[in-house]
Amino acid sequence: MFKDLNPILHSQLRLAVISLLISVKEAEFTYIREKTNATAGNLSVQINKLKDVEYIDVTKQFKDNYPQTICKITPKGIKAFEEYVKSLQTYLGVKK
Amino acid sequence: MDNVENEFSPEESLRLISSMIETTKNSLKDRSHYFLLWGWAVFIACIGQYYLKVIMNYPNHYIVWWITPVVLIIQIFMIVRDRKTENVKTFINEVSAYLWTAIGLSFFATSFIFSKVGWQNCYPVYIILYGIGTYVSGSIIKFKPLIIGGIICFPLAAITAYLSFDYQIIMLAVAILISYIIPGHLLRIKSRKQQAHV
Repeated sequence: MFKDLNPILHSQLRLAVISLLISVKEAEFTYIREKTNATAGNLSVQINKLKDVEYIDVTKQFKDNYPQTICKITPKGIKAFEEYVKSLQTYLGVKK
Repeated sequence: MDNVENEFSPEESLRLISSMIETTKNSLKDRSHYFLLWGWAVFIACIGQYYLKVIMNYPNHYIVWWITPVVLIIQIFMIVRDRKTENVKTFINEVSAYLWTAIGLSFFATSFIFSKVGWQNCYPVYIILYGIGTYVSGSIIKFKPLIIGGIICFPLAAITAYLSFDYQIIMLAVAILISYIIPGHLLRIKSRKQQAHV
């Protein structure tokens, strides 16, 4: 039905993650989980999918002896997001 | 958010994008405590200096400014504490950090200049620095009380240059009240309200 929409982004949680990351410099896993209300397991899976297609960079480090996962959108991710929004606009424009 | 994939409409998609972007707007950290810390410290120092110099005729009236290194140490503790709880880095917070670092360094550098040329005209320059910091900060976060407070500092600085040192102390207190203390309290109220709605 929505064949022009990038299937990687046309998924609620992955789109939520990319939309969050597009407007910040970088965000911790905990921040994304808090804002999307997703479970840690599901979020982890979706973040890995976004990482595999190189839409986001994931850095694991330690902060005060606690593991920390930092996510950051890549230029490829920004381009994909922009194209996705354009496709959405085209689709909605046609529908009107 | 569940694991449903490809089962939502483009309309829902757009709504999701805008709600997530809106969410990050609310992630702007409440930085009013820095304005209030410096605002009240400088205000109290001004009142103290005026009292010592004008009313008591005490020659070492400038000792009140030894409050500055104390406040600086408190600020460093606040920054360390804020960094620990910070789980997102926004461009706005980053730009603000650069701005205030530049303002801080300007205060540091000008203190050497005034040590050399004399302190009698330092306050108009400091009022300008308050103005730059609060005007730019307010504009970045689109907070009118800071913008207005910052703008007022510029004519205030110009007027201050024509006054005697005793009145310059009062003008510095007025400038810090308008540019830091009042907007700082209003910013705090706004942030508390936003947090209550989230």
